[in-house]
Amino acid sequence: MSILDQIAQAVLEGDEQTAPRLVQQALDENLPASQVLQDGLLKGMNEVGRRFREGEYFIPEVLVAAEAMKAGAAVLKPHLVRAGVRPEWTAVIGTVQGDLHDIGKNLVATMLEGAGFEVLDLGVDVPPEKFVAACRQRPVHVVGLSALLTTTMPMMETTIAHLKQSLDHPPPVIVGGAPVSQAFADKIGAAGYGPDAATGAEVAKRLCLAGRS
Amino acid sequence: MNRSDYLALAAGGLRMPLGAHLVLHEESDPEAVILDGQRLGMVVARTARRYRTPLAIPLMDLTVERNVVLELLGVPPAERATFHLTHWPGDDCLEQAASLEWQQLGPRLQASCEAVRYIARQTDLVPIGMVIGPLSLTVRLLADPISAMFTCGRGKRADENPQVALLEKTLELATRVVLASVTQQITAGAEAMFVCEPAAGTAYISPRQLAAGADLLERLVLAPQRRIRALLDEARCELIFHCCAELTAQFLQAFVGLHPTVLSLGSSRKLWEDAALVPEDVVLYGNLPTRLFYSDEACPLEAVIEQTRRLIRQMRAVGHPFILGSECDVLSVPGAHDTICRKVDAFMTATVE
Repeated sequence: MSILDQIAQAVLEGDEQTAPRLVQQALDENLPASQVLQDGLLKGMNEVGRRFREGEYFIPEVLVAAEAMKAGAAVLKPHLVRAGVRPEWTAVIGTVQGDLHDIGKNLVATMLEGAGFEVLDLGVDVPPEKFVAACRQRPVHVVGLSALLTTTMPMMETTIAHLKQSLDHPPPVIVGGAPVSQAFADKIGAAGYGPDAATGAEVAKRLCLAGRS
Repeated sequence: MNRSDYLALAAGGLRMPLGAHLVLHEESDPEAVILDGQRLGMVVARTARRYRTPLAIPLMDLTVERNVVLELLGVPPAERATFHLTHWPGDDCLEQAASLEWQQLGPRLQASCEAVRYIARQTDLVPIGMVIGPLSLTVRLLADPISAMFTCGRGKRADENPQVALLEKTLELATRVVLASVTQQITAGAEAMFVCEPAAGTAYISPRQLAAGADLLERLVLAPQRRIRALLDEARCELIFHCCAELTAQFLQAFVGLHPTVLSLGSSRKLWEDAALVPEDVVLYGNLPTRLFYSDEACPLEAVIEQTRRLIRQMRAVGHPFILGSECDVLSVPGAHDTICRKVDAFMTATVE
């Protein structure tokens, strides 16, 4: 098994110790950092996403795989910066104001990173102003809103309205969470809806590709 | 009221939502009501009477026992919403949790107990208490519960892994606080205890690890639940076990092992299929998708009526004791309260041949 396949396997197995060690080994063997990222870490996460969609992996497997990927990515980061390799897109994500649930949001953040996004995670209970502020600090290509409670879902509409009122070029917004539906997303003016974390990341990527074209 | 009475309610075709949140939010000052035991009890009573059930199911508030823990740990109120344990604070809190006094319960839990007392003394309804389950309380206290549980599932022990050590200590603390809450609500007159364990599902516990032999269900769910069960048995208090999470059959079989009087499940389950795994003296409750009731697009009124009829027919066909109801607490959503209530009324009254 090549070193890159071993890295992918370590991510797949959620091995937070082995993934960074193998990443360092790959760098020591002079493999380009971008290749280690794409064909090692992200390849592993993509397979994790596939297994999650197929019902072979569950949320715990995805989250520990993400931890392994992040541990490997931390070793890669200075090399990527030196090589001028940056994620093509930036996503801002958060759970809306009044809601403290974060598992779904964390899962989507993981899948977005696996899809090649840089993710700014604003956390939970995020007021609309904070989303706006994050979008003003740097170019943001997509905003992800999460809510787990029907009582906090209305804040999604408030947040979207605030983004549209406050920004000249508001980024598209995708929404998700247990009580959220496509119909609700359409009603509140969201650009996309993710019924699950993997689909949410795919929708985000499609929106960004559509924006590029 | 005992198990046979609940079976009789099921046989009589009882339907009821977990509707206290809806009725609470018809008050002008719900935040004040939840701190006033008598008013809270009146809301619970009104809910039971509106939905024509003898069971006074309390307001589902899974923050109550968490606040008791955080008070015990000395976390300032302003920091409690986002506070998580990242290291164990020492075993003093375990001793304190084992002997909680009334004044340490905090205003919310005190009000909940007073509400139970109101029901028991002032109404002819069945007083029911409600607690969060120990595992669900634990995951709300830890910064990274899923990783800790996964590490546990890999066979790591507390003496060799700090995450597992913190998980086990926190679970013990959570269990003791939950037991204290149960005790106080039984003292107030509760004849049944609604135990909410939404963390006992596939979002937190990997079915893959279970299939590989990990004893996570036993260690993290059943062992603490059996301590609650023992307390309830001693007080002749019935167990209503609630888990609205995504599950597999293995989870369901574990819950059945607790032999609850009522087993309340979420909308992801097909109750008529689950009935095959549940003893005939355990009433199944649920499980209409009430979290979608806010939206006429996602869940039209006609669909609610059709789902109600289908569920009742399917449960009649398998012949398992069943009370039709909501998958979880039906929340009042600003701007959609009337829409939600209409659909609850619809499932309460839908006729079935």
